Amino acid sequence: MSIKLESNGPSMNDYSCATQCTWCDGCGDYGIWTAMKRALVELGLAPHQVCLCFDVGCHGNGSDKLAGYRFHGLHGRVIPFASAAKLANHKLPVIAFGGDGASFSEGIGHFVHGIRSNYPITFILHNNANYGLTLGQASSLTWQDQPMNSSPNGIPEHTLNSMDLVFALEPTFVARGFSGNIPQLTQIFKTAIQHQKHGFAFVDVLQACPTYNHFATHQYLLDRCYDANAEGHDAHCEPSKARALALDTSKRIATGILFQREDVPSFYDRLAPRKDKKTALVEEVGKVDVGEFMRELI
Amino acid sequence: MSRISIKITGAQGQGVNSVGEICAKGLKRAGYCVFGYREYMSLIKGGHSSYQLDVSHEKIESSETKVNVLVTFNHHGLETNADDVKDGGIIIHQTPQWKFAAKDDVALNKRKITVLYLPTEDILKKLKAKPILGNVLITSVVWSLLGRSADGLKELVREQFGHKGEELVQMNFGAIDAGFAFTKSVVSGDDGVSADVRLSDPDPQWENHMLLTGSVAMGLGLIHGGCRFYAGYPMTPASPLLTFIAETQNKTGMVVKQAEDEITAAQMMSGAMYMGTRAATGTSGGGFDLMTETLSLDGIIENPSVFVLAQRPGPATGLPTWTAQGDLLLAIGSAHGEFARCVLSVSDAQDCFDLMPEAFNLAEEFQTPVIVMTDKHTAEALFTQPPYDQSKATIRRGNLVTDAKQLKKLKSTDRYDPAAKDGISARWLPGTEAATYCAQGDEHDSAGNVNETAANAKAQMEKRMKKMEALKKMLPEPELIGSQNPETLIVGWGSNKGVILDAIKDQKNIGYLHYTYLWPMKTEKLEKLMQKAKKTILVECNHHGQLGMVIKMASGIDIKEKILKYDGRPFFYDELLSRITNYQVN
Repeated sequence: MSIKLESNGPSMNDYSCATQCTWCDGCGDYGIWTAMKRALVELGLAPHQVCLCFDVGCHGNGSDKLAGYRFHGLHGRVIPFASAAKLANHKLPVIAFGGDGASFSEGIGHFVHGIRSNYPITFILHNNANYGLTLGQASSLTWQDQPMNSSPNGIPEHTLNSMDLVFALEPTFVARGFSGNIPQLTQIFKTAIQHQKHGFAFVDVLQACPTYNHFATHQYLLDRCYDANAEGHDAHCEPSKARALALDTSKRIATGILFQREDVPSFYDRLAPRKDKKTALVEEVGKVDVGEFMRELI
Repeated sequence: MSRISIKITGAQGQGVNSVGEICAKGLKRAGYCVFGYREYMSLIKGGHSSYQLDVSHEKIESSETKVNVLVTFNHHGLETNADDVKDGGIIIHQTPQWKFAAKDDVALNKRKITVLYLPTEDILKKLKAKPILGNVLITSVVWSLLGRSADGLKELVREQFGHKGEELVQMNFGAIDAGFAFTKSVVSGDDGVSADVRLSDPDPQWENHMLLTGSVAMGLGLIHGGCRFYAGYPMTPASPLLTFIAETQNKTGMVVKQAEDEITAAQMMSGAMYMGTRAATGTSGGGFDLMTETLSLDGIIENPSVFVLAQRPGPATGLPTWTAQGDLLLAIGSAHGEFARCVLSVSDAQDCFDLMPEAFNLAEEFQTPVIVMTDKHTAEALFTQPPYDQSKATIRRGNLVTDAKQLKKLKSTDRYDPAAKDGISARWLPGTEAATYCAQGDEHDSAGNVNETAANAKAQMEKRMKKMEALKKMLPEPELIGSQNPETLIVGWGSNKGVILDAIKDQKNIGYLHYTYLWPMKTEKLEKLMQKAKKTILVECNHHGQLGMVIKMASGIDIKEKILKYDGRPFFYDELLSRITNYQVN
């Protein structure tokens, strides 16, 4: 089956890079990478029209595997960096990528406040339920009773329920995809990028880690993931309904756009000083007259 | 130097600051230079705080240890601060039936100190005024003791409270008249002025000056220099800057973010800078510790970034509301790895303003972090300052490419080209129509692709460090103030400048070498001056003599004579004067 690329402008080639991919054979990052390039192309965005911000981890090694204005920063910190980049130029789509290790441990504070603040960015969670790049330690999302590097007896803690946390933060956009379903993931990414004008778009991408994740494997995910939207789920539903759907992974795992609302203004749109401003902060750098403030001090 | 000082003490929240501020404004408008110094504890209400005003017709930028007038809201001030009063001075208190212990009484008598009881409660009751008017009453007593006219004070009060209605204004006027009547009833002398607190003749030059703290001055400098984004996390003494930037945001249109922690604040500043606006963050030592990983990141991605580091005494929480210069080595040595950076320090209301646009210029010209140091003393002291000349500052953005034609010519490999002159390669912004690149936190090649080869690592390290050399070349040498051929050379930085200059004002043979730019360190001028000087003395508010250590590290020069202070207090005028004099004699 071939899927037609919907673009009259930029092509997949425009995003190509001469650098070699270094991910393991069968890594879910290949699928996410491909779907993201397709999504950008299908949205008609040329590489210079996007800002892609990468956290540190296996996915971050993709920072030089495609074109675009990119940033590859510190472990766990990508959300504040990307959010402020977006606030500085709200006219440019900003997409941040992070792993489950960084997002739910070292950077969990940023993750919580990112959703709570409804920053106008898209966040793609590369969720392989372990720390791959540091050779397979347990993350907060690793299942219990799984022997991992540094926890040979499995983790003593219980596994963090990431979707429950996300919904507790009153998100405006929640989606879930699977790295093995590129056509669906492309559509999810496109919708998530378009949601930026309304706020923080969270996309949980379940991905295989063939080297270290022996519990939620590619086959496991393939067997369980289903397209909830195709089965009639409407993302513009009550948060409680979407939450229940997202949390129930006992038999099958719902993917697609799980929740979406456009009636809550983004962080930027709530800023009183920016009301009625046509320019972006990047267009406003210049000397500012402070005479008015000085007069008040005399 | 002709100067007098007034100290107002009380519990936090009692009105110490408002009395201090009204007095300061009134004195400045009457033609005096005022320097305000606050001491307070890390709590919201209660505790013991003070607001000291040092006043002169000449320029004054320091406080004295002992004051001419002590005004106290409660008996703690009588117990704690009676010793702070100069011989022949005045204590005004409001504690009914207060009695000093017999030995204290004797001491006060011997020192010819007048103790006046102001029956605030009775006076206010007679006026049917609310307790809050006690502040105006006290102000008017101080005002009348200094020989100022009631009209001047009334004008100020009308300005401050006029918008709240005529009734309140008249209540205030009643309190002012009562204050003047009280002074007249207790102080002898034909004009009602005690000789010991008589001010010298005013100088009209001060009337049109501003009164502002270092934090407000810095905030104005940030706004003036094109800062469009500020992220911070509350921490004394950096908070007043965040407060000022936040309070002015509806006029400036700036985006101001109180972040969830200092790591976030630093990351947000960096993200906004990467995108191409001008952004800053500010914190104190503990928060800066958290920011240092971001500082390191800015080093390798060659991101312009501006950090304000407002010092207070550490380690850990230390003395949260007091002052220190203990973080110079932190600013210079913080963050892992080796990279170019610029460290500079403000010292007064003038350079608080001037150095902020300059910090952005250096950050953008050299595409590297700039750390602007201040401390509690500068951040919260009240300065008398002429309105800023707004024609001076320039906006310099270095190798930032914005022209469409030039953008078209750029290759991805231009971004981190190791062959670029002085290591400063082209920079262009996300969203501009040009070849794209990666701002890469891993060691990278010229386009920002990860590259772990030895040859590339060496080339990129050398590229970045070349910027340090270029930066060092263009930075000015330290400034010599006072004697230009000094027998005694004082070397210092930051907030000590004001007190050092006040102390050496009438001393012909002393020169002060003031370091504004602290890293990269320049020592040529210092070396020349030291060869001729008989004595060189380092003055710092820290234990190690950190500027001395940096100078030694950069040049091998060891300044052996040191005047150091590390008790959370700034140097006082008389204290420093005597310590310098002792050094000269010995």
